[in-house]
Amino acid sequence: MSENKPSGSGSTDRTLTAEQEELVKSTRRFDLRRILGALFVVYGLIVGITGLVTVGATDELKRTGGIAINLWTGAAMLVLGILFFVWDRLSPVPAEDIVKSEEQEDEERKVGEAKA
Amino acid sequence: MALAPAALALSTAGAIPTALSPAGGVHTATQGIRLDLTWVDYLMLAIYFAVVIGIGLIARKRVKSSVDFFLSGRSMPAWITGLAFVSANLGATEILGMAANGAQIGMSTLHYYLIGAVPAMVFLGLVMMPFYYASKVRSVPEFMLRRFGKAPHLVNSLAFAVSNVLIAGINLFAMALVIEAMLGWSQWIAILVSAAFVLVYITLGGLSSAIYNEVMQFFVIIAGLVPLTIVGLNRVHGWNGLVDALNKTESAKLLHTWVGTGFGDESNPIGANWLAIVLGLGFVLSFGYWTTNFTEVQRAFSAKNMSAARRTPLIGAFPKLLIPFIVVIPGLIGAATIGNLLADPDSGVTYNEVIPKLMQMYLPTGVLGVAVTGLMASFMAGMAANVSSFNTVFTWDIWQRYIKKDMPDEHYLKVGRWVTVIGVIIGVGTAFIAAGAQNIMTYMQTLFSFFNAPLFGVFILGLLWKRMTPKAALWSYIAGIIAPTIVFIAYQVSVANKAPIFATATSETLYGAIISFATVLVFAVVISLVTKPKPVSELTGLVYGVGKIDVTKDHVAGDTKWYRSPALLGTVALAGCVALYLPFL
Repeated sequence: MSENKPSGSGSTDRTLTAEQEELVKSTRRFDLRRILGALFVVYGLIVGITGLVTVGATDELKRTGGIAINLWTGAAMLVLGILFFVWDRLSPVPAEDIVKSEEQEDEERKVGEAKA
Repeated sequence: MALAPAALALSTAGAIPTALSPAGGVHTATQGIRLDLTWVDYLMLAIYFAVVIGIGLIARKRVKSSVDFFLSGRSMPAWITGLAFVSANLGATEILGMAANGAQIGMSTLHYYLIGAVPAMVFLGLVMMPFYYASKVRSVPEFMLRRFGKAPHLVNSLAFAVSNVLIAGINLFAMALVIEAMLGWSQWIAILVSAAFVLVYITLGGLSSAIYNEVMQFFVIIAGLVPLTIVGLNRVHGWNGLVDALNKTESAKLLHTWVGTGFGDESNPIGANWLAIVLGLGFVLSFGYWTTNFTEVQRAFSAKNMSAARRTPLIGAFPKLLIPFIVVIPGLIGAATIGNLLADPDSGVTYNEVIPKLMQMYLPTGVLGVAVTGLMASFMAGMAANVSSFNTVFTWDIWQRYIKKDMPDEHYLKVGRWVTVIGVIIGVGTAFIAAGAQNIMTYMQTLFSFFNAPLFGVFILGLLWKRMTPKAALWSYIAGIIAPTIVFIAYQVSVANKAPIFATATSETLYGAIISFATVLVFAVVISLVTKPKPVSELTGLVYGVGKIDVTKDHVAGDTKWYRSPALLGTVALAGCVALYLPFL
């Protein structure tokens, strides 16, 4: 176990070529955590605003037995969405992982082509 | 309430994701669970599907080879594959079916999670994944090929491909019924729209699309079910109120899991004793489903390295422990509040519809949109999981192996995309046939549940015993499919003659699985002793004790952190199983 560095810092001991930098950037741009974060922030806002607009509406409170469920759920989803962004920020996919998996793929493709 | 165990039409073990029987009698023409959606709810639905297509487009850019398309380039981190692993099983049919079980058999439904899933997931991560991942096989049938050769491989590949594409169609039909009842869309619109979405995002991005959507669906369905559970509990005055309400009726036994499972006292709602539950559900059915069903295992194959692959099912085990609280408890709330309605066959609301019914009763517009989106998403994710494993096995294990060998990689990528299109079209066809012949579909569904148990028998014996021969694998596998089929037919005949040989359809499944497994063992041992095994030199890394698998070879930064230890994660998950049983003995 020679590689026992902290994960998440995104640091790497090799210097990346410009091409690899671009790869790392484009991979991180569409990290699933950002997609989830965006979805939940939007949902949180929609549900939360619905809750604000209808606050105290008898129908909602009658259904839920007195809980302003839209407000609570909206707030919770908003927080969850922000947490996804924070997680993504604090621990991006390590650059070496991205580069390594790309190299591995290239290799597999070559092996596949050699077979052909 | 009239608790009729024989009415457990909801198919079989929780391990099998098709718990919602299309013939379960979802009433179509009634207003029973029609939801009152506003434009806000539809807006959320629309946003979700826009994101789904967006993910497909993003994933498409990364698909450069067949490994990208079928296994996400083996590059996924463990938290994503772990959640996708549990989510591929968390289709809407599973959710609705398990909530129905919650309303019908109560806390006994916990067996499907705590015995029927988590131990097998731990076993997969700790014991079997090293063999799968280190051998670099690209599918479960390919492991069969490496260990036992072509004949059993071909049978396994065909059985998997055919059953998966038909299951996709059956699920599609189940979905159309529920969507029609909830939203008022006609069945064929529901079928075509959902099939089109699945087709687009899988054809574009392959497994990456499927996995990303599974993770997204996982969070959305939870965001819908948690508020439902909270409001439901509030309406029945909390957990104590729920217990009081159930105790007032004869449904008090819904709160127990192991009461009435003794030999000779099989009064529990499943109708089987503890040994049959542990062996049938806990061992054969669940190990068969979770460790050999490629639809599940494929998620782990897409992980970026051995450590992430092993942690995939282990990470999945933790949500699996907690899901019953937002699925089974709503079922119990349904039993307490509308038990009479559910039990009445003429009420227009069936057990399968307990969750949509509670949504209709308790959720205001807003949260309702989240819950509906979650259900629709999980319906599609279930179908996408079947399609994305079908196209992999068809392309690699059938097309590449037996039809067109040695073509350039682009060829197989192209075939994979076309197979996806054809698979979805067959699925749609199956859904329309299912609409016309519901009983046949129920039988087929049960039949397919027989495919995993014998496969597990063959694999586990093959992993442990290097003397096991290819011929033994082939014939014991086939015998292991035929035996439970005979038991199933015998049970159907005995039910028709009003003298059932098993207490419930569920207990039939448990005994059928045990019989299948035992058949495999007997056939495999006998045939192995009289046929020629593969030379030991060809079994390196495929049999326990032959060669050594280095599970730390491809470690990357962070894999050695103590909280990423597979053994630790597995132990904690198993301890969780025991702990969750304690309040509901």
